[in-house]
This record gives sequence, structure tokens and C-alpha cells, in this order.
Amino acid sequence: MPRDRRNTRCPGGETGGAARRIGGPPDVAGPVPAESRRGLDRRDFLKSAGFAIGAAFAAGCHRAPVDEAVPFLSQPEAVVPGKAVWYASACSACPAGCGTLVKTRDGRPIKLEGNPDHPLSRGGLCALGQASLLGLYDSLRLEAPLDDGDTTDWAGADREICAALERVAARGGRLRLLTGSLTGPTERAAAQRFLADWRARGADTAWVTYDGLSSSAIRQAHERTHGRGVLPRYRFDRADVVVSFGADFLGTWISPVEHTAGYRTPRPAGIDGSPTLPRPRRHVQLEARMSLTGTNADRRVPLAPGETGLAITHLAERVSRRAGTDLGFGELEAAPLDEALLDELADELWNARGASLVVSGSQDVEVQALVNLLNEMLGNVGETVDLERPSAQRTGDDRRLAELLDELRRGAVDAVVVSGVDPVAELPGGEDLAAALGRAELSVSLADHRTATAAACRFVCPEPHFLETWRDLEPVPGVAVVAQPTIRPLGDTRPLIESLAAWSATRSGTDDGSAEVPSAYRQIQDHWRAHVFPRRTGRKPYPSGDFQSFWDRAVHDGVARVDPLIGLEQGTADRPGSFRAEAVRPVATASRPALGRFDLVLYPEVGILDGRGAENPWLQELPDPVTKVTWGNVASLSPAAADELGVRDGDLVGLSLDGDLRTLELPVRVQPGQHDRVVAVALGYGRIGTARFSGVGPQWIEKRPTVDTGQPVGIDASPWLRLEGGALRYQRTGLAVHSTGRRRELATTQRYDRLEVPARLGRLVEHGDQPREAARTLGLAALLAGENDGQPTEDGAEHRATLWAEHRYDGHHWGMIVDLAACTGCSACVVSCQAENNVPVVGRDEVVREREMHWLRIDRYYTGSGERVSAIYQPMLCQHCDNAPCETVCPVLATVHSSEGLNQQIYNRCVGTRYCANNCPYKVRRFNWFDYPHEDRLQNMVLNPDVVVRSRGVMEKCSLCVQRIQEQKIEAKTAAKPLEDGAIRTACEQSCPARAITFGDLGDPESRVARLAHDRRAYRVLEELNVKPSVAYLADVRNREEDHRV
Amino acid sequence: MYDAALTPRGDRGASGSTWVPEPERPPESGEPRDETIRRPLIAGDKTPGQVTDDVARPMAGRPTALWWMAFFASGGVMTTGVVAVAYQIATGIGTWGLNKTVGWAFDITNFVFWVGIGHAGTLISAVLFLLRQRWRTSVNRSAEAMTLIAVLCAALFPLIHMGRPWLAFWVVPYPNPRGSLWVNFRSPLLWDVFAISTYFTLSAVFWYIGLVPDLATLRDRAADRARGLRKKLLGFFSLGWDGSLRTWNRYEKVYLLLAGLATPLVLSVHSIVSFDFATSILPGWHTTIFPPYFVAGAIFSGMAMVLTLMLIARKTMRLEDYITLRHVDAMTKLVLLTSSIVGLAYGTELFIAAWSDNPFEQFTFANRLFGPLGWGYWIMVACNVLIPQLFWFRRLRRNLPLVFAVSILINVGMWFERFVIIVASLERDFLPSSWASYRPTSIELATLAGTFGLFFTAFLVFCRVLPVIAMAEVKGVLSYGRRAGAAADSGVAPETAREPAEPDTVPFPTPETVPTAVAAGGSSFEEVQT
Repeated sequence: MPRDRRNTRCPGGETGGAARRIGGPPDVAGPVPAESRRGLDRRDFLKSAGFAIGAAFAAGCHRAPVDEAVPFLSQPEAVVPGKAVWYASACSACPAGCGTLVKTRDGRPIKLEGNPDHPLSRGGLCALGQASLLGLYDSLRLEAPLDDGDTTDWAGADREICAALERVAARGGRLRLLTGSLTGPTERAAAQRFLADWRARGADTAWVTYDGLSSSAIRQAHERTHGRGVLPRYRFDRADVVVSFGADFLGTWISPVEHTAGYRTPRPAGIDGSPTLPRPRRHVQLEARMSLTGTNADRRVPLAPGETGLAITHLAERVSRRAGTDLGFGELEAAPLDEALLDELADELWNARGASLVVSGSQDVEVQALVNLLNEMLGNVGETVDLERPSAQRTGDDRRLAELLDELRRGAVDAVVVSGVDPVAELPGGEDLAAALGRAELSVSLADHRTATAAACRFVCPEPHFLETWRDLEPVPGVAVVAQPTIRPLGDTRPLIESLAAWSATRSGTDDGSAEVPSAYRQIQDHWRAHVFPRRTGRKPYPSGDFQSFWDRAVHDGVARVDPLIGLEQGTADRPGSFRAEAVRPVATASRPALGRFDLVLYPEVGILDGRGAENPWLQELPDPVTKVTWGNVASLSPAAADELGVRDGDLVGLSLDGDLRTLELPVRVQPGQHDRVVAVALGYGRIGTARFSGVGPQWIEKRPTVDTGQPVGIDASPWLRLEGGALRYQRTGLAVHSTGRRRELATTQRYDRLEVPARLGRLVEHGDQPREAARTLGLAALLAGENDGQPTEDGAEHRATLWAEHRYDGHHWGMIVDLAACTGCSACVVSCQAENNVPVVGRDEVVREREMHWLRIDRYYTGSGERVSAIYQPMLCQHCDNAPCETVCPVLATVHSSEGLNQQIYNRCVGTRYCANNCPYKVRRFNWFDYPHEDRLQNMVLNPDVVVRSRGVMEKCSLCVQRIQEQKIEAKTAAKPLEDGAIRTACEQSCPARAITFGDLGDPESRVARLAHDRRAYRVLEELNVKPSVAYLADVRNREEDHRV
Repeated sequence: MYDAALTPRGDRGASGSTWVPEPERPPESGEPRDETIRRPLIAGDKTPGQVTDDVARPMAGRPTALWWMAFFASGGVMTTGVVAVAYQIATGIGTWGLNKTVGWAFDITNFVFWVGIGHAGTLISAVLFLLRQRWRTSVNRSAEAMTLIAVLCAALFPLIHMGRPWLAFWVVPYPNPRGSLWVNFRSPLLWDVFAISTYFTLSAVFWYIGLVPDLATLRDRAADRARGLRKKLLGFFSLGWDGSLRTWNRYEKVYLLLAGLATPLVLSVHSIVSFDFATSILPGWHTTIFPPYFVAGAIFSGMAMVLTLMLIARKTMRLEDYITLRHVDAMTKLVLLTSSIVGLAYGTELFIAAWSDNPFEQFTFANRLFGPLGWGYWIMVACNVLIPQLFWFRRLRRNLPLVFAVSILINVGMWFERFVIIVASLERDFLPSSWASYRPTSIELATLAGTFGLFFTAFLVFCRVLPVIAMAEVKGVLSYGRRAGAAADSGVAPETAREPAEPDTVPFPTPETVPTAVAAGGSSFEEVQT
């Protein structure tokens, strides 16, 4: 990303306002002919005069509405109509704090991309981050504060809130601030100041933080073992051997983009110039359900949740034996895993000590303490487990949360302010909690939607979308980000730090308006001047060395490098102490469900997470990477369990827990690789705000609604969460499953999951039991042995005759390389493509009818069988074939080949015969079956003006982001410089946290794609058809036992 | 114009074309070979005048209750289809059950099905004409009408299956102001446009030319009854036919030439339709045997549809004397032949797939036989290959209820053949991730039904307003001349005697007319000599 494309100016003021002015400003004066140079005769003069007077009358009669017709009085310097302006910012869709660049056009943000300078996300951005842009243009966002559900003004709300706080403080009542993880130094300081002020006024104050997806047990375990409750920063980029016990670190765990970027850091696969491997040498995942991370592992072992502790204990004991110490764990129940496997794991970890990493997603403190023990014994602390610069991405403490909930239920809390979380929807016992919130004297929610918590609180003081406000973040010490707004707030909203300042005890009691609330911008700048600027490191040159240049640089770059170890409140003061082995206790037994019962695993889904993505239609329609189900959650059952219950995909089952009267009905998804005694259900569904999606999609007589009127999308599983033992638990045991005999067809985007054809039909086919070669996997040993050298698949290419003259490319020949070994299937590219190319959302019914519109899809094929089942992901997009089968069959030449190798679809020439789609062997063409709704004018603001919105009846497909190609070509031409390799980045390439996608010029032998196209792993899908695709794939690499492990 | 009542032109024309005296034989006696040559093709010992009366009768009176019932039923079904199509065009192709993988299903299935039906007409008219199969005279008119209607039904689908049918004219290469935009001559869909329009045009011309003598007959019959629009129209469309020898001569020449032109089209149309599939790269479509296979299938289904219609018309319009068991027998033999060709094609496809060493091809056929739509394949095989084998037996060939049932089953089977080829190949192709299924919507079902409604409605109207049997041609194959000598001992003689004027006016072939007759169509001399 060239620096100069970004701007440090905040466009929020004058330029941002333009976004709401829809339609072109009608020019006031008509075209009045000017005096002719040749001189004017009488007739011409009279004509002109008559026309001028007429035009003046006509113009005078038309009074343009002011709010739609005010042009810029003076053209802002940065804004050139039709040219995008980029601003560095940061994503606040989750607390991971990835860096973003925001593309704005004419004052409105239209695309989020990863910031390549950001040290954590390294240019990647996940699906949730990509989609959060759509949340900006959500017409259901609150536009003004609410008092008991009615719109009010800020002054009135502030007056009443302050008055209530006064009363509470006066009688020494309890004030509680409940937030999600806040990583911003200013935010944290503001929260502490707010509470401190009121504490000084006599209130009993506390700040409680929790995360819907809690990692509280890790903090607690570190408190126990290291004397300091921190969440370490896991350095997957340094790990050669990764063993994960149920931590979905590539998908949803803590900071997936950062982890993915680290995980996919290329490392030498062996010695002597062997190829680099874009992943750790060995990754073993032991988990109950099939997670995104598990499908990417070299070896994946189904492990029931109740057995995790025992398994880790056994592993720790084996590692300790290799370390020559005795842990004295005493008598243990037999290991729930194969003994040989445990030995192998211990060997691998031990051999890679210092460069290995053990993680666990468990919320059991004992288990996490054992994980700490393992990492300590392996010497990973300080290497792959960074406790010095711990992560602030999950600061929730569930023990405090439990106390708060207890207080709330007892009615002991007088005032509560909730920000950034939706406890009524996210936590178990939501209804009780809602009632308790209602009983408090003051309850304030800062939700930007009418969430369940907002409905339970008296005041709702909406926060702006993160693109509308100044923010700062420091997700990991040393990575400080100041994020600028990119648009003026669309509603009358106010950020948390301004609200806290407005309600501060020092302001309270003064007359309204006499003391202005310090703006977020001022607060952040003041805080940074005082606390962040002194921590600056010399690595970045700040021209004049003053604060302003530091600040400008930080705003421009989107990230400031500061010393991690000073200033932050978890900094030097109490650094983690040495390891206390005595704090670790073995888990000597496993708990298993009773006969006929199952364990329940509640998990977050990519994109939706704990429900924060639920109100986003892009994310609802994004298929879960593993189940490929959209629009709702499912009960995942292993094939054996499904057989046992006599159910198949789409059958509704009733789930009930022992001792719980509630029964949830969910459709079954038969999930290979899942533990046989586990039922997995995704969290984050059943949110009240999702009832709006009932009308999504085209309306016609046979249409079935996405959700029934008033019903939410999916089933809310959060009542089954448990806050127990000081941690939010995502697992329950004693689940009974019964078939209801009814069905609800699943909205899946992939109906057949394997590369092998069905066995019944495969018997009739030569090599019918062999997987089709569309998505290839190599054993690491085979790769190192050079078994794939010589490009066997290229054999015979020269013998394939063609009737037509070959295309000749004198200039560019665009192409793409997709590295399957790097791709994790995280689906960020899918949403990125959707945002960039105005791909419509079609709704559940259309997905059931197999008509989703994504230009880029991720094919997921299961490989292996039984316990060894794994998956391979293959991003599939238009392959831009040289011998494109689609091009020959279109009767009207609506799809043609460009001189640069692109297969172009001409929308306004297309008559919609669909012959091209039939003849496409990759089935990547998408047809506009209907006119997809674009009635929501606010939501239409997200549309990319560079890409046409397709009408019904035309075919569409991936264009390799031709608008980006053209833009960069024009820039290069204007600058009279050759187009640099890498200057053009397609939307999918840009977002990929794993750097799996590379776009470039195949015609330039020095380009990255040209070199990768001759990689020993390179192949083209369906090469044998001689369609000559311009997209090549690099085979996946796994280090599996069956392929002779390295 | 002169008064034609005294000397019906049709009769004169008939005698001029292929009238041949044949010796009378008692029915159901003698060897089959003799039968086909010697037995009269038209039963009932008709005189030419009777033929005119029989054929013109349904057009003269008021429609029967049965006709009205049939008309309203089929019209109702057609209306449903019209509503469905209008809704689909207004709302979007999404109202069909297609999806990202299956881009064609009912639409192109119906298209190929109706084009196939449309084959029998030209085959019977032109090919059998050239092959001197004189039994065709009883059925060619209605078969040609059926062709036209079926091609109309077929042509509907390429139009309405488009995403933006209002832009359908873009597939026509006409000079336009869109710069270099032109049609793609590499696309089989474009060849379809040419093939179908050519076929329709020629079929319509051929049909119309064949109608002219009959229209003249009707015009002349109408002369003494009414002088309304009908007469004017008949007068216009009979092109001033005067029944002169010269007119006949030219007529016969044009007819022969058109038959010669139409014959290659029988082969070309369905060959080109099959190119839609054969030139693609989809396993199951990309098959070089498709052109002959599709042509045979088209003739097969067309013959079956002719049989269906003829058996109904024969019964309801009392045309048993014209469409005799012999006609049915001949057509069922053709059905049997084409069924066997189609069966061979099915077998060849499987053989080629098995020997192809191509796993995609093999899988496609495994899937076609045993996949989710395998039941369609077995319906197809049962209806198209197994059931027509009944026609090896002469008795079954003459069992009209059975023939009727089989003819319907064949059309069911042929519809499924196209459905199986199109959908079962599309639904599971190269990348298993995109494998999909297909289920029709109500709109598609209504559209399919609607084309049948259109077909039958149009056919019913045809039966009312035009002669369903080519009178002029039928008169050429009457046994009338032979009867003249032996009328005394014939049981039908008294009936003949009812209209004494007409037989007397029929001239015996003159030396001038005979060469024309030979050239035009008949094997009359050979037969006379036997």
C-alpha cells in the first residue's frame, strides 16, 4: 500500500457529511448561452435573452431541498470525486485489534482492508472485520439515546444519569461498570477515572470485564502458576510443533488473524535448500468437535471434553520423564488416548523444546495450569509463550463477573453501566439478569442496537460505529494504535469515553453545557501526549521529535511502536514471576457422559462468534468454514452418533440437559471427525435483532422466509452456558438427544463433502475409490523427497491439440496462485470479495435452493476416514481460462477474453442463457435469478461505486477485481512508471491473513506468480480438460504419519 | 373462377396425381407382402366425393360437445401456462428450480422434447414422400400441423429460458448500432436459432403448399353455402388454384422440390440441437454420437406423438377408413426401428463410457444409472427401449388401446431421456463441491403443462378449420377405380350409388397426366404392372 494514498486528515467533519446527501446536486442555473464571440445579431440576442429569462424562471421555480443539494463550499483537498482515499484505522469488531485501512469514496467508507504495517494482523483481516463495514450502514442502529425505550436527547439523558449517580453515591451505593475487553489506553484510563471519581464521592465502584468468548481460565492459571493473571501472547510464528487441546486458534480463539499470520509464517521445511513450508512442521489438534483449526492440523484426534484434563496430565508426565523430573502426579486413570500417540506427542514436543507450543481452549483452570506446566517444562515461556508482553485481547475475569451477577440478582447493585457486551443475550440466566438490571436504580447500556441488554436497561446511550469515532487500542503492549474516524457519525451517538466523561462526578452537578464534554479526540490526544508519547521507541523516525509529528505519524500509519514494558498498568509494576510448579495439580480422572447421554460443546462460529456478527447479513450468509451451513446453527453429531439416533442432515432433534427443563430443537449436521459422544452447537444465534432477516431475499410465491416473522435466526444456546468454578464454561455433560421426526432443510453451500465419488457409484468407475485431484495434498516427506518434482500433471500438455489459435499476450497476463498449504479456510476472502464486488445477500431460502451468489467460495473436502478424518480447503473462483469453455458457447458474446488474459463478463450484453455456467467445469459462475433487494438506501452506501450492481437475468463471476487492475494501471501510467509486481492486490488476496493468495502478471517471468507457477507444488485444477486456467494452486502439505512423518 | 360444384377440383387433382386402380382382395387374406402392395390404403371403398365429405364434415357443422370439452380443458391448461410464463418473466428465472449448478432443466428438456415431436411431420411428409410410402397420405397433413405446433412450443423455451427474454433479439445477427457487437458464431445456441427458424419456415411452407389443393376444394364447397370471411380467406389462401393440368404439374414439382429441401432438415435440426450438448465439455453431454442419436430419438418421439393424435382423431372424427390398421401398423414398425436405434445409442453411450478410461465420463454414467436421478434413467429405458419391443408382434401392433398406451409411454420416456441427459449430467460434474440437486417448481410444472395445453388447443383449432387429411392426396390412393368395375358384388356399392354424379365425372388418367403422377410420387406404374 503506497503511503501517499493515505491521509492523516480526519474526514469526519465536512467530507463525512456528504455521505448522507444522496443524489446529485441539481444545478441551479440552466445552461444559459454565453455571448457569442462572433458578435450577436438582434435575433440571436432576443433568442438568448428569451432563453435566459425562461431558464431563470424554470430554475427559480425549482427549489432543491437543501439537505440533498449542498455541494462542498470549498473542495476538500483530499477528496477527488471518483478517487478513493485511504485512512489507516483499526478494527474494533472484536478485541483482537487488527489494523485496517479504510477505503473511502466521496466521504463514505466502502471497504476495510488489513493494514500491512500492523505487527499483529500483518495485513490480514478476518471475515468479521470485513463485514463490520456493513454494520456501519445498518439502518437499525440506534440514532439517539433512549430513555425507557423512547428517544430522548443527550442533555436530558445525561442529567438524569448524573442525578441517579449522585443519589447512589450519596448513599454509598454500588456502581458497576460492565464492559467487554477494552484495549485502548485512553478508554481504560477513562473508565478508571470515571469510577475513581465516583468512589471519591462515596460510591462503591467496580469495573467488571468479561468476554463472551472467555479466556478467563488462562489468566487465572497464570495467576496461579506465575503469580500474575495474564493472557500470554502466543507466538505461532515461532512454533515448530504445535499441540492444541481444543483451541480453535485459527478460527475464533483470541486473535485468529494474528495467529493465522503467525502460523502461516514460512519456515524452512528441512535442510539443504528444501522448500519453505508455510506452516509449523507439525501441528496436532486434540478436540471434541471439528474446528477450523483441527481441519488444518497434521494430525487430529477426537477427544471428549471431559477427557482433556486427563490427556494433558498424561502428556505432562511423559514430557517430565524426558526432562528428567518427576511431577509426582501419583496414580492416574488410564490415558484416554493411544499410548503410542502420547509418547509421540511428548517426543515431538520435547525435540522441539523452545520452539513448541501447547495451547488449550479449556475453561478449566486446572487444565490451563497443566498447559502452563507443559510450556514451562518445554522451555517455551519467553519463546512461543510471551508473558512479558501479554495480550490484552481478552481481559475478562469471570470470577468478577460471577460476583457481579450474584450482586445483581440479590438486587445489591444500584447503578450499572454496560458497554460493548450484551450480557442478557450472552450469559446464562439472561432473563433473571434482565429483571435484575431493571431493578437497579440506574441501568445504562451503551449498545448501538436494541439488544436484549439494551431492552433491559432504562437508558440506552448508543456508541457510534468504530469507523465513526476516534479510538485508541493497544491489544498487545507495544502495539499502540490510534484509529481515526472515516465518516461523521450517521446518528446522534457518543463514544464510551465521551459518555463516561459526561457522567463523571466532577461534571455532575454543574449546569448542562457549561462545561463541555471533552471530545474523544481531545481525550485521546491528551492521554497519548501524557502516557504514550513518552514510551515511543526510536525505531520510527519522527521528524521533529515533537508530539504532533509522533501523533501524525501514528494516525497516518495506523500503528505506533512504543515500548511495551512501561506505562501500561500491567507493565513493569508486577511482571510475571517464576513458575510455581506446586500450583499445578493433576487431573487424575476423566468424566464421560452416562450411557445414552452426550457431552454438549458450545462453540463460536467464524464470523458470528459470540453473536457480535449475528446482525450482519454478510456473516449470516457466510458459510461456516467447516459445516458449510449458513443462516442458523445446527446440532453437529458424529456419523456414528447420527446412525445410533437414526437421524441425518436436516432432521430436527430435541436437545435437553439433565436437570434442565429447556429443550432446544436444532437441525442435525452429521459432522465427520467429531467425537462420537459429543453434540456441538454454535453460540451467537437466536439474537432478537436477527428477526429483521425474515424478509431477506427475493419475494415470490414459493419463497420461504429466512426466519419466521418475529423469530430470530437460529437457536440461542447461551442459556446452556455455565458460570462455574470462576469461569464461563462452554461444555456441559448429560445431554439427551431425541429425534423429533420433523425436518428443517439445512442451508448449506456444499452438498457433497468428499473428493471421492460416492462408494456405491465409485465401484463402477475406474479408480473410483481414489480422490479426484481437484484439491491435492502432499505428504511433507514426499515434498522433501522431491516426489512431486517434474510436474507430472503438465505431461502431455503439448499433445493437446486445439482448434483455435492460442491467445497471445503481448502485455500483461494476469494470473493468480492459491497456496492450499497456507489457506486455512477462514473465509475472510469470501466476505472481502462480497464487499468489494457488491455481491448480494440472497437469504436462507435461496441458499437452500443452492443459489448463493459468492464469487469466491471455499470448497471444503474431507479427507481420510474414521478418526483420521481431516479436511482440505480450496478457494475456488473463476479460473480465467485461456481456452475458456464459457466463451465459446455464449450466443451474444457476453463473455469474452481480454487481451490481458481475463475472462470478462459483459453484464449489459448478457441475455442470460446460462449456457456458460453449464459449460464451466469449475461451476464458479453465478446467475442473478432475481433482482436482489436494494431497497435499504442506507445499506446501499456500502456499495462499491467502481463495480456495477447487476440486474436480474445476467450472469456474473469473479473478475479478478478488474477495477483494481485498471486503477493501478492508470496510476502507473500517470506516474509514467512500470506497474510494479504486487501493486495490484485483489480483494481476496489483500484480506488473507495467511497470505495464501497471490495475484500478478504471469507474463512477467520475474513476478511472484510466475515464479510460484513453477513451484514444485504447483498444479492447475482440471488441467486435463485443456482449458488452461490462469489460476494455479499449490498443493497442500501435511506432515502425516501415513505419509512418513518428518 | 367457374362453378366447381359439378366437378370438384380435388377429385380431378386426385386422379391426376397418384390414382391407381388396385385389384380388390378380401381382407385378411394372402401374404403380408401382397397386402402392402395390393390392399387398398383407404378402407370403406370411398369415392372421391365421399372423401371430400368425410374430411370436410368436421369443419362444416358446429363443434361437438366433446370438442368443446377438449378445447376448454386444453385451453385452460394453456392459460395456466401463460400465467406461469408471464409470472416468470415478470419475477425472474428464479421462479424455476434451477440453481448454481443446474442451469438448464425443464426449459431445455421441454425444448428438445418439442423439437423432437416436431420431427415426425417432416419425416412423414417429405422423407416418406420421397421414399414413395403412399400410406403417408392419410397422416401427413395432421403430422405436419403437429410439427408446426410442436416447433412453436419448442421455440418458446429458448426464448423464455433467457434471463432477459426481452433482449432475445440480440441472438439474431442483424446490422445494429452497437459497434463491434455481433453474435457468436461459435455458439451452438446460435446455430439453434438458425436451425429452428429454417426448419419452421420450410415446414410451414411445405405444409401450406400441400394445403393449397384442399383449400381450393373447401373454397369451392363453400361457394354454395356462404360468402363470408371464410370464403374470402379460403379464396386468398388457395392462391387462385384452378385445378388445371398446368397447375397440377407445377404443384407437383414444387411439392417434390420442397420435399427434397425438407429432408436434410429432418437430419440437421436435431443434429444441431444435439450440438448444444455435444460441443460442450460436460461429461454426459460431450458425446459424438449425439447427432444421429438425437435424430433417431426425435423421429421416435414424433412418430409416437403422431400415433397418439391419430388414434384420437380417428376415433373422434370418424376417420377409421382413412387411418386404418395398416397405417398404425406401418407407424409402429417405424417406432420399433427408431426405438431400437435409440436403445443402441443408450448402449453405445455406456460402452464408450466404460471404455473411455475417463473417470469423469464413467462417473457421469454411473450417476445417470444409479445416482439421485437414476429412476429417470430407468423410466427412460423402460419406455423407450423395452416397451416398444412389444411391436415385434403383429397382433400387438394392431391392438389400438395398447398402441395408444405405448405411444404415450414413449413420449414420457423421451421426455425423461432429455431430462436425464440434461439434469443428471449437470447435477454432478467435475468438482464434487458443486454437486447439486434439482427439483422443479410449480411454475415450471405449469409451464410444461401449458405447452401441452398450447399444443392441444392449437391442434383442436386446426381440426376445426383445416382438413386433417390431405384430401387431394388421399384420393390418389383410393380403391375407387377398381371398384368401378366390380361394384356389383361389393357390399358398399349401394353407398357409392348414393352419389352418382361424382364418379361419373372423374376422368380416367390421361396420357398427359400420367408422367406427372409418376414423377410426383407414386410407384403407380410399377404397381400397375404387378
